[in-house]
Amino acid sequence: MTNVFHTYHPAVAFVFLASALALSMACLHPVFTALSLAGALACSCVCRGGRATLLSLRWIVPLCLVVAAANPFFVASGSTELFRIGQRAIYAEALLYGLCSGGMFASVFLWFASYSSCMDSENSLALFGNAAPVVTLMVSQVLRLVPQFVSRGRAIADVQDGMSAAAPRTKKDAAQGRMRIVSVLMGWGMEDALERSCAMRACGYDCGARRTTYARFRLGASDTAVLAAVAALALASAVCAWLAFSGFSFYPVVAGVAPFWLYLPYALLMLVPPALWLRDWLQWRSCE
Amino acid sequence: MTNEHNTAPAVETRGLAFAYPAGSGEPAFEISWPDLRIDQGAFCVVVGSTGSGKTTLLRSLKPELVPAGAYRGWARVLGRVASGEGVRGEQAFTALESAQSIGFVMQDPAAQIVCDTVWHELAFGLENVGMPQNEMRRRVAEVAHFFGIEPWVRKKTEDLSGGQKQIVNLASVLALRPRVLLLDEPTAQLDPNAVKQFLFLLGRVNRELGITVVVATHSPEDVEAYATQRIDLDASGAPAPRELAEAALAPRWEARAAACAHADAAIRVRDAHFRFDRREPWVLRGIDLNIARGCVHALVGGNGCGKTTLLRCLAGVLKPQRGHIDNALRYSQALLPQDPKALFVCDSVREELMEWSTRCGYGQREAVAMARRFGLESLGVRHPYDLSGGQQQKLALAKLLLANPEVLFLDEPTKGLDPASCADFSRTVRELADEGKTIVFVTHDLDFALVTADFVSMPFDGEIACTEPVQAFFANNIVYRPNAESRLFGEIAAEGGRA
Repeated sequence: MTNVFHTYHPAVAFVFLASALALSMACLHPVFTALSLAGALACSCVCRGGRATLLSLRWIVPLCLVVAAANPFFVASGSTELFRIGQRAIYAEALLYGLCSGGMFASVFLWFASYSSCMDSENSLALFGNAAPVVTLMVSQVLRLVPQFVSRGRAIADVQDGMSAAAPRTKKDAAQGRMRIVSVLMGWGMEDALERSCAMRACGYDCGARRTTYARFRLGASDTAVLAAVAALALASAVCAWLAFSGFSFYPVVAGVAPFWLYLPYALLMLVPPALWLRDWLQWRSCE
Repeated sequence: MTNEHNTAPAVETRGLAFAYPAGSGEPAFEISWPDLRIDQGAFCVVVGSTGSGKTTLLRSLKPELVPAGAYRGWARVLGRVASGEGVRGEQAFTALESAQSIGFVMQDPAAQIVCDTVWHELAFGLENVGMPQNEMRRRVAEVAHFFGIEPWVRKKTEDLSGGQKQIVNLASVLALRPRVLLLDEPTAQLDPNAVKQFLFLLGRVNRELGITVVVATHSPEDVEAYATQRIDLDASGAPAPRELAEAALAPRWEARAAACAHADAAIRVRDAHFRFDRREPWVLRGIDLNIARGCVHALVGGNGCGKTTLLRCLAGVLKPQRGHIDNALRYSQALLPQDPKALFVCDSVREELMEWSTRCGYGQREAVAMARRFGLESLGVRHPYDLSGGQQQKLALAKLLLANPEVLFLDEPTKGLDPASCADFSRTVRELADEGKTIVFVTHDLDFALVTADFVSMPFDGEIACTEPVQAFFANNIVYRPNAESRLFGEIAAEGGRA
């Protein structure tokens, strides 16, 4: 399953996920947390697929329940007593607080999961590489060399395994042989590095010009539109959340319910990934 | 940027000679070259055997790669001095100008690749010279179209075949729009199909784009169709038609056929199936094969026919998931990897040859004799990595033979060898078979298979399409067969004449 953001500039995914993540963590509030959990689930479904989401719920749900259940046992605040265990009173407010923190916890996990599926190294580099072209090149080189090292290590081990005529006679010999793989790899790698540095210089590396970075992604009109919508909604949500929070408290009694329209921007923000998915689905529906 | 109306020769040298850095005193000019003049738009092939100074010559034409040492005479590229003595006050290339006027492609496809993805590799040179992003995008698109790279532009460079890697190297150099392109043995590590494809593209670069191409190679036959100029650095052997080599080998084939007819099977493969992962397709699907004791068995075929996998299974490095492989000589075998560097662990040729002396019970005397047999005796103190490709191959084989194995598995043993070394290698393999060793090798090089093997098997699509004695195999193959004429055949025919 490809994620809904993959046709957009990486900045769209980054701005959306970063603001959703920040708002989820900042707003411990029954309504906001419920919206954020629903949004995180929806986003995970359209970014990572339903199956992957369900699989991660297997451990997220129990963990959240533990958090939710633990809170009333440690926090004795609140006014609505539900029941008593020995001397300890369990209050509804504390339970609600626990449920909210569990929900926040779950949504943060899901946002991070979506983030890692949307923002691979290539996307991150495209986003931040312009600021540090040298870092971009370095990451690219490391990503190139690691698999090469692994496959060479295997080739050397193969040769040792295939050389029964010169098989090690003792255990110590055999261990040394395996250790040698490392030294052969180092020598080979260094030899390669000489040639690679020649090739790099031949292509003008370090020729005095300031390096630029190839832009894989272009910020087009539709990218800008979605980006602007996301940014506006995120800003509005932040303002509304601040307003909603000013009169809200969990203890001693849940109070300060805000008018519904203060939740609207956040709800709309959460609907962005499902909306992108829906648009795609509607476009392709007739073809299937 | 060089002047567009510059009409100077692309390359011109006068009295050029080179000496490696010496401790003190007068430099000894070990390498000297004839005076060259290569006009703009030419396709020049520089022919020489291993060690004839091809690489040093080419590097002397690229300012960043000029080797450390002393020069006599001068070399000019596009009218400006690249190495040697310049005229006083003459302006040399800046690094930026050199990158955009002289392109350089080296031998090893993998070692030159810097970045992890194809598109990034294509953009690498452009990033270096600080090209604006829009112009960069256009240039990458241009070269990707020209070379037909679009289908795999997003691939990881590590996942490409050798031929594809070399095409990416050529394309990324060309994105910088050089006017002169220098290539040092660009196809030595490629299989024959990839060689043809690469040279075809190189020919187009020359004819359609008017870029001057200078290729150093030890096999000018491949480039002949495109070349407009040829420079010989040393006398190379003359080519001979296949029939001559076959005539020279006829007595041997007769004798070997008689010897191999009674040989029992050293390795028996029954219904071997292999795949690398449960989710991946089968690479081998039902291999049945007998390898006769004391015979030379070649496995030939194109890329992806499973011949290297089969060799690794025979050597016991990979275990088939179905069927079985019965190797009577399992406890005395040796494996020559595709890249001999995987075998080298010491700092000098001498130590390398002595590495297994206690394990395998041989001494200094045997090692020296082996070095002499392979012409390595003068290289004792050199580091194995400082040897040429052909010498590395010989050192690897010498090291394996000192272990005195009964069966040898060789993976592409002639990769990068010039015809003379190839003939040497073929002779060594045949001698080993005469001594009673069993040899199995995998190759793309049908000429080598013809002059070396007793039996040839052709794996295809995970099975063995056929196994026949070498003479019958090549008599029955109409399409997939050796060259009609080659210098290797010349060497073999000459050897037959001497014998």
